[in-house]
Amino acid sequence: MSIIIISSDVREIEEMIVGKVAEEKGYGRLDRRIINDVAARHQVEPGRLIEALETTPSLFRKLSSRQWRYYLSCIEADVLERLLADNLVCWGLAAHLYVTDISHAMKIRVLAGKSSGLAKIAEERGISLQRAETYRDDEMARRKKWSLAAFNQDETDLSRYDLVISLDQIDPVETVRTITGASEYRKFQVMTYSMKCLTDLALAAKVHAVLLKSMADVKVQARDGSVVVSTRASTRQKRKKTETIKALAGQVDGVGYVEVHVKKNFLKETA
Amino acid sequence: MARSLEVLLLDDEPIVGRRLKPALDKIGCQVEVFENPKEAVARIDQKEFDIVVTDIRMEEMDGIAVLEHVQKKWPRTKVILITGYAKMDLAREAMGKGVFDFIAKPFRPDDLRRIIASAAEALGMPIDAASPNDETVAE
Repeated sequence: MSIIIISSDVREIEEMIVGKVAEEKGYGRLDRRIINDVAARHQVEPGRLIEALETTPSLFRKLSSRQWRYYLSCIEADVLERLLADNLVCWGLAAHLYVTDISHAMKIRVLAGKSSGLAKIAEERGISLQRAETYRDDEMARRKKWSLAAFNQDETDLSRYDLVISLDQIDPVETVRTITGASEYRKFQVMTYSMKCLTDLALAAKVHAVLLKSMADVKVQARDGSVVVSTRASTRQKRKKTETIKALAGQVDGVGYVEVHVKKNFLKETA
Repeated sequence: MARSLEVLLLDDEPIVGRRLKPALDKIGCQVEVFENPKEAVARIDQKEFDIVVTDIRMEEMDGIAVLEHVQKKWPRTKVILITGYAKMDLAREAMGKGVFDFIAKPFRPDDLRRIIASAAEALGMPIDAASPNDETVAE
């Protein structure tokens, strides 16, 4: 029993590998098909959630940094909750960036490489291989920027992954076999500790999403139903903000205790 | 009548054994408690336990070494690691070496009973782990 999280520098290849791994393992797939459910649950437009996964905040798109973080937090909260079910192959939801320190979540990066990746891009966009390479490089730079802004993680840093496969060297059939084989390693099997870590992470994300709906600049940690929220506020607002956080977080299922740490917001203090 | 589950419990903090032994007694386990890993290993050399529950970080010998010793001597025995210093790398190392389960302190005795019950099931000696709520085991 485990979770397999796959990401790639070419989405079509990612989807193809995910489909085959899920089929081979008999696992469910967790992907963007959940976006409509997430949107309904948090009463936001599905298109805005997809936009948040693809782009960084911009005045042109009328997407503020605060909205963007809220949309991402909604996705994160739902994905983590669904991952508690186990036996899933997850892709396309940026889970490789926020499912951290969970020993039974195996993170895989598939590098499309020149032969298959660029050919696929060139074919789909009707461009030359040279232009496809430029397009892919630009896309990778954009994803790096996005992942750092969204989760302070560089998705192009290969040391973050448990397994990295280059399709230039390993063909797709062998890639699927390698992934399914590696997922059988005992190291990636679920244990009481890793399930507890995932449960804590999911609860923190749920509280984070609830708080980001009405405020910015909050960090949340959870352990065994106890939640610690760190935020900033002016001396004048400190008490009110603490009460609001305790009230909102306290309503979340699974939260037993809320502690709020408020640092001084010097900008508002001097304003 | 089915025989009791034989459990060796090793933690250099005396309070852990004091708290957990009665909790495991309640579900019908025969528990031997040790605070010194060398003494525990000497006992393991003498007797095949069904389950060994051991802390990881101990002065004279760590829990991973205890796990390896048990596996060499009694491959059937299930080993459960408990630690107050859990990290993903350590958890993966322990799983890779064949530990049955890994649990971070603090935990409730009920959490350990659940793991003991699933180890018992894997050994073909199912037990009923249901018991009233208990206090959390200190970190």
